[in-house]
Order: sequence, then structure tokens, then C-alpha cells
Amino acid sequence: MKNRLNWKSIYQNPSFPSFLILIAIIFLNAFLQHNFFTYRAFKSNLLTFTPLILTSIAQGLVILVGCVDLSLGATISLITVLMASLMGDSLLSMVIVVFIGSGLALLMSFINGFIISYFGPPPLLTTYATSVLWFGIALFFMPTPGGYIPSHFSKMYRSDLFPGFPVVLLFLIGAFCFLFFMSKTRFFKHIYAVGGNEEAAYANGVNVFLTKIKVFLLSGIFIALAAICVVAQTATGDARSGLSFSLNSVAASIIGGLSFSGGRGSIIGPIMGGLILGLLINVLYFANITSFYQEFMKGIIIIFSLAVGAIPKFLKARSL
Amino acid sequence: MNNNNSPVLISDKITPKEFLFSKLAISFYAIILLFVLGEVILPGFISFSHVMSVFRLSVFLGIVALGQTLVVLSGNEGIDLSVGSILSIGVVLSAFFLNGQNINIPKALLFTPTVGLAFGLISGLAISYIDIPPIIMTLAMASVVEGTSLIITKGFPTGNAPPLLETIGNGKIFNIPYLILLWILLIIIASFILKKTKWGNLLYGVGSNSLTAELSGVRVKRFRVFVYGICGAIAALAGLFLLSYTGTPYLNLGVTYTMPSIASLAIGGISLAGGNGNYIGAVTGCIILTTLNSILVALRTTEAVRQITLGLLLLILVIAYTGRRKRW
Repeated sequence: MKNRLNWKSIYQNPSFPSFLILIAIIFLNAFLQHNFFTYRAFKSNLLTFTPLILTSIAQGLVILVGCVDLSLGATISLITVLMASLMGDSLLSMVIVVFIGSGLALLMSFINGFIISYFGPPPLLTTYATSVLWFGIALFFMPTPGGYIPSHFSKMYRSDLFPGFPVVLLFLIGAFCFLFFMSKTRFFKHIYAVGGNEEAAYANGVNVFLTKIKVFLLSGIFIALAAICVVAQTATGDARSGLSFSLNSVAASIIGGLSFSGGRGSIIGPIMGGLILGLLINVLYFANITSFYQEFMKGIIIIFSLAVGAIPKFLKARSL
Repeated sequence: MNNNNSPVLISDKITPKEFLFSKLAISFYAIILLFVLGEVILPGFISFSHVMSVFRLSVFLGIVALGQTLVVLSGNEGIDLSVGSILSIGVVLSAFFLNGQNINIPKALLFTPTVGLAFGLISGLAISYIDIPPIIMTLAMASVVEGTSLIITKGFPTGNAPPLLETIGNGKIFNIPYLILLWILLIIIASFILKKTKWGNLLYGVGSNSLTAELSGVRVKRFRVFVYGICGAIAALAGLFLLSYTGTPYLNLGVTYTMPSIASLAIGGISLAGGNGNYIGAVTGCIILTTLNSILVALRTTEAVRQITLGLLLLILVIAYTGRRKRW
């Protein structure tokens, strides 16, 4: 049964259109960026896309449980500010600061999750409010971009673990493995149950309150990883460095076939969505589109991808 | 009253005691409290001219919030995150159409909302017929609209407001700014349309139960498309009025209006699930947010402190007004 290819289940999979888009966009990139398949280009693309992919996973998990996290970008900003103001040159201080930053990400995700699952306000408004709050705190500590990140911290991030294997890839593979093992657990089924229908999940003995908080904590791990990437890449603390991630990650999740009302779609979706968005921005860069048109094209491309993403729904509706 | 009335109409009859503790009344107390607080911190805050100037600043948010109210009322997770960008392009376009000439005012009054309408209709079409979630569709639309205003201006908006429009934006009659009078007129018209006309009833009907509406013969999808269109037109019109206040156009003047327009609805007791609430609530929400902001500005706080206060207060308001303690 498992070995038989079921074509219908493949093309009706919510992530199927994003897979097609991904392939198309890779071809487009290969066409425009002539050294696309070289190791250099691969690595530099990977360095650019990793934070977006990690935030998309974080957002995807939260969307799966039926919430949304608009404060994710501000969380990243606040962590970059914290890390850039605390980090010293020694290896020990780097490790400690990375841990403090990760702890902060978990704490902020926990606050979001706790408020949403305990008081029950709309996640959209709640996380918007917390994003204003986090942004304010980041701005309070660092009104202008600055701070200090030792150059070997950035170098470590950009270096190769061994020839042909960049350190960033370790981040991604670690994240994928972690996700893979998570997806086998009972808890992961609870995410879908709660996202699909809270009341029904509760009636069936799922602890809705804890599940939501756990999902936010889980997303906090990925936010922390993304923040470490951002700080290593920009080598500064900046209260505005993370802001674009909030909305891009939501777009990536939806492009990846997740349902905004929760409970439907695969976590592979946001990963592909993040890749698609990253490659699209790449295309805009390499196609020599003047900066005046970039914002416009970005919007058009997102709308287009979303429209293509809606195809399986039509196929399903027709086959019924 | 006979039994044929819908529940919406029955719940309109409330006792005075219920009214005193309704969300609307609480919003009024909050406004008064904020002004008293402002007076304590800064003597003169509560003077007539200052109160009027705070109200005048709320007008633009208030107009945008009207469009947002319609979209949210229409239900189905309805929300429009492109209002800020459409407001921005409204400022730029109306300055371009007006070009400082009074005679161009009819032209601007016609074309500016039309452009907003077009953007709104496109969002609405994609939301209704391709089932793209409103939040993400309007967000992408915001990108497109911002991009469009960059493309048409090449980064430098031209034109400015003509004298007549500047009079409307900055003039007063009996110390009451014209803009506030305009807003009051708008509030009356909007409330009338929402409460007394067939269209208003349809909006509540579609928002509270779209299946029932569909079965009663309303073409729900087409209806929603038009609601988004109207929201876009209103946002663009707000841009025209914002130009009347600023005189000269700037890019991205409206971006800061998007989230407050939604927050003001939540504060004003409009259910984000749709079908419940009225425009007066949004109006009080707008005044609360603007008053709060002007207190913070008057205190000469830094941007950071303002954001922290605003964030904390929003969080408390959101929890207090929209929190529904569940069984778990």
C-alpha cells in the first residue's frame, strides 16, 4: 500500500503547486544567474536564504496550530540588539550570549503563546501588540544600529565545516532532522488537531492550552536560530533588521500550501515557500530590475504564487 | 415586536444599565480618562482648541477605519492590510491631479477614489474567487500599491494641494475644524447606511452567517468583492483629506495607519469575526489611539518609549476587549 504511487494524492497535496513553482523558479534562477550551480553561488544563496527558511518554519508551526505570529520579526531584531550589545571577543562570551539570546527568543514566544492560549484574544492583534512592544524595547536599548559582533563570529558562520560543506547547512540539516523527529511524535498530531478544530480536540482529551504554548516554544527555537544567522551575517544589532521577516514568513507559509485557518498542510510547505521567496528576490536582483519596480514586482509575484497555490483546491472541488 | 425580526434587531433594545457597561460606553470613559490624564500631565491638554486638534488628527484614521469596518463586518476573516498603502497613493495621486489648482478638485475627487476602488476590487476578486486569505492577499496588495506609487513618482511626488483644499484641511468655523464637521457628517451617513438601508443589513447578514445569506439569495462572493472595493476607495479618499492637511505630498505617509485602523476596531468592540459592531465603536477607538499618541508626543518621549507604551496598552486593550476565556 505504501509503495504504490498514488498520483491523485500527489497532485492534490497542498504543497504540490509550491513544489512546481520551486522547480520553475530554480530554472529561472539558473538561467539568470550564470554561475548558479557553482559552489560559491550555492553557498552565498544558502547564507541569504537560511534566516528566511528558519522563520518560515517558525511561522508555519504557529499557523498550523491556528494562530499567527506577527511579532517574529521584532523578536529577531531584539535578539540582534541584545547579542550585539553583550558579545565579547572570547569564545566563552560568544557561547553564553548565544544562549542568552536563544533564551530570550523562547521567553518572548512563551509570552505570546501564554497570552493567546490563556486569555484567548485574536493571535493577529496580540502578536501585533507584542511586536510593537518588542520593537520599542529594541529601540530603547539601541536607537541607532550598532553594537559589536566580533569578526570571527561572522567568519565562523560563513566558513566551511569541511570543504564543500558550509556551516549554515548544518543549521538547516539540524532543523530538518529535528522537525522530522518531531513530526513522528504524538504532539505533532495534536498540533493538527488543535489547529483543525479546538473544541473537537479538547473534547477528545487534547490539552489545547499546553499544545499551543508548546508550539510557540518550538517556533521560538527556530526564531532563535534565525536570529543567530541574522546577527552573524549583518554583524550589527539593529532594531529594524528583523521587521521584514514577519510578513515574508507568513507569505512563505501560505505559498507553501498551509491553510491560514490552521490544521491543514505540511511543514515542508513553509520550507519550500521560504526557498521560493528567497529565489524570487534573487531573480529580481539578477534580472536587473530597477529598485523602483522591485517592491511592485515582489507583490505581483507573491499574488501570482498564491493564485497558483490555490490550484489544488480547484482540482479537489472538481473531482468531488 | 413580532417574531420575524432578526436577532440583531432584538439585541438593539438594551436597558440603561446595560448601556452604561457596554463596550461603547467603556470606550467613552476611556477617552475621558485619557484626556483627564493628559490634563494632569500637561496643563492645557483639555482646552477646547487642543481637544479639537487631537480630534482633527483622528479624522484620517477615522476615515480609513470606516473602510476597515466594512471589510471586517463582511466576515470570513475579512481584513484589509493595504489601506495604509492605498492612503499613501491617494495622497500622491490627488496631489498629482490637483496640481495646486482649485479647478482640478472635481477631477481629483473622481479619479483618486477610482484608483483606490480598482486596487480594492482586485484584492476582493482574489479573496472571493481564488480563496486567498484576506490578510495575505491585502498584504501583497500593499506591496503592489507601494511599488506603484514609487513607479509613478520615481521617488519624488509632485503637485500640491490647492488653496480651497488647504482651507478645508486647516480652516475652522466657530473654532471647530472643517475636517471634524466632515467627519461628523461621515459618521451620520455611515451609521445610517449600516443601520437603516438594505445594503447595511446585507453586510451584517453576510458577515454573521454567509451560508444563510447565500441561501437567501445574496451573491456573497460578489458582495465581498464590492466591500473590498469600497474600502479601497475610502482609503484613497482619506489620502485626499490627508493631503488637504499636509499641503504637500510625501511618499508612504499612510503606512502608519494600517495596524491602528485594525486596533481601533478591536478597541471599539467590533468583532474581528465579522457581523457584529458599528462604526461609532471604531470612531471611539480612533480617538483613544490618537489621544494616547498625542499624550506621548507631548511628553517629549523618545520613539522607543512611545512604542513600548503603545505596545503595552494595545496588549492590555486587546486582552481586555477581545479576550474570550475558553474552557481550557
